[in-house]
Amino acid sequence: MAKRRTAFYLMTIPALLLFFAFHTYPALQGIFYSFTNWDGFSSSYDFVGFKNFVNIFQDDNVINSYMFTFKYSIVVTIFINILSLMIALGLNSKIKFKNFFRGVYFLPNILSVLIVGFIFNYLFSNVFTVWGAKLGSEFLSQNILGNANWAWVGIVIVAVWQGIAFNTILYLAGLQTIPQDLYEASSLDGASRWREFWSITFPLLAPSFTINMVLAMKGALMVFDQVVALTGGGPGRSTQSIALLIYTGGFQGGEFAYQSANAVIYFIVIVVISVLQLKFLQKREMDL
Amino acid sequence: MKKGFKLIMAGLLATSLLSACGNNKASEGAAAGTVKIEFFQNKSEAKASFDKLIAKFNEANPNIKVSQVNPPDAETVLKTRVAKKDIPDVVGLGATDTFSTLAKSGLFEDFSQDPLIANIQPAYLDMLKRMTGLTEINGIPFSTNANGVIYNKAIFKELNLTIPKTWDEFIAVAQKVKDSGKNAFYLTLKDAWTTLPAFNALESNVVGLDFFKERAQGTVTFKDTYREVAEKQLKLLDYAQKDMYGKGYNDGNTAFAKGESAMYLQGVWAIPEIQKANPDIDLGVFPFPGTNDPAKNKLVSGVDTLLTVAKSSKHKEEAKKFVDFLLQPDNVKQYISEQKSFSAVTGVTQDDASVADLKESLESGNLVDFADHYIPAAMKVETIFQDFMQKKDINAYLTKLDTEWDKVANRK
Repeated sequence: MAKRRTAFYLMTIPALLLFFAFHTYPALQGIFYSFTNWDGFSSSYDFVGFKNFVNIFQDDNVINSYMFTFKYSIVVTIFINILSLMIALGLNSKIKFKNFFRGVYFLPNILSVLIVGFIFNYLFSNVFTVWGAKLGSEFLSQNILGNANWAWVGIVIVAVWQGIAFNTILYLAGLQTIPQDLYEASSLDGASRWREFWSITFPLLAPSFTINMVLAMKGALMVFDQVVALTGGGPGRSTQSIALLIYTGGFQGGEFAYQSANAVIYFIVIVVISVLQLKFLQKREMDL
Repeated sequence: MKKGFKLIMAGLLATSLLSACGNNKASEGAAAGTVKIEFFQNKSEAKASFDKLIAKFNEANPNIKVSQVNPPDAETVLKTRVAKKDIPDVVGLGATDTFSTLAKSGLFEDFSQDPLIANIQPAYLDMLKRMTGLTEINGIPFSTNANGVIYNKAIFKELNLTIPKTWDEFIAVAQKVKDSGKNAFYLTLKDAWTTLPAFNALESNVVGLDFFKERAQGTVTFKDTYREVAEKQLKLLDYAQKDMYGKGYNDGNTAFAKGESAMYLQGVWAIPEIQKANPDIDLGVFPFPGTNDPAKNKLVSGVDTLLTVAKSSKHKEEAKKFVDFLLQPDNVKQYISEQKSFSAVTGVTQDDASVADLKESLESGNLVDFADHYIPAAMKVETIFQDFMQKKDINAYLTKLDTEWDKVANRK
């Protein structure tokens, strides 16, 4: 027994060390710097206590980026989950070229976010506008990414298009764990397709649903690359996500310590959201 | 005991994997017997021009190997590298807020006693000193640029227009172009920074650069001083193409090259890109007339690229040798004729026909520096401009400039 335990330790310790060196340690450093006034490159800095944290709460750019990020995350999470569940149901049924379609729907996931972003950036500016003009719509003939009120929708479209792929795979895996005899029984009882979905498929998908909700939400809350490739946070600051604000303010703006404080607060917010989500959704799993 | 030993071994193994990679790299350089110099510069437009000069240098100096690094968003990359204490040997940068903050933290060599600056135009050296507020000179101006109004000569000829000398004439020209059914300007407001050329010309001619010093002391506000600038910034929008909020810098270069607008509010750095899209275009540049007094309309010109050497460099001598090589008049000439920029080295002139209209201002020294370089980078002032162009609310805009300025100052 003791021997086996040693083997397990040997397997985990290298990963633990790497994780600590490249993840935990920098995170602790970030917390440390958030109490200083370091600009990111000077050789000296002073401790300023909680000044950075106080200033964060008075900065409407920070509040604005929280608003954008949450609006974006909620919409993206909902759309990704609805659409990927629908696609997974379709791909799990008996259709022709099933494996081919599974491959096609997974493709967006293996493309780099930045490349997808730049391609869509071109499409939004030079292709969709031409289509819009042909439709005779004043609104659609303009680049949606250049419109302060609608640019976030453009980012949502791209994020959902790409995000669906991964969640579809998870739902597909979940669907295959549902025993076939339940469906046979329900068809003997004469249940409709709709009833079948709500009474068998959806409840038994609960574990997949939990993990998909959490992953999609977490991914959306950290949105960065899509925004960089599509709008750079503009027009104005209308699509500036929290991650982007931390990066641009911290490095371009030379306010490393201030944005570290922002990152610390955001870290706490994400932890709280993830824990709540897991608690709530897992309770649902237990109830079954 | 045995268990503990195994644990330590596992840990060592993991870390030795990492350090092994590090060692390899270092020994590679030493084995070749040459000194490697990293040249980091921020202008993607100038990559090919520098590559040519580097090839020439490497050939003449077989024991030194210079390699160029030109990442996208270079200023941010440089700051992150500085945070990691990994500063490139030779740095080429614009005279921006990034340069002055890095210079103030004492990262670069002091050239004030160095013979390398002997041939540099004093006006540009003064500009650097004024920017950083230091007595040291931490960078050597290499090339300079100007921003103004790029115009399509064919369209000007067709509509029988002349180069405007005052703001009123400028707007009259724009109106005539608009009346003929063409776009006067091609604005690229999707990229926030492209609002800067017009702002810089208006700020420095209407208000003046002393404003920023007074603003820092708290004796003036944007609200009291900037109304005219704001009104003129808005006025320009009346003469632009339809989807101005949805187009970016690259779209603008291509569109102007195709003759989609008569004028383009950009710096001379856009000219090579425009000519790439349409090599036959006949274009010129004139100074942006910000006021109605022709004598007051100065050309906005600043240091486009300055060269500097990191204090932490292990090969300062070789690095300076490379800088000295770049500053040789024939190399500067080669660079500025490819880049359509101007020389900071005395006696080297830009003879390209497209920028001939700027010669008068450049030679008479009727110049003024870029205003946005005096605004703290943390303000992200270009995003405030971009927001203003959409909302068009002058009062909210001026208040925002004041509050953002104070906020950044308070966080220092």
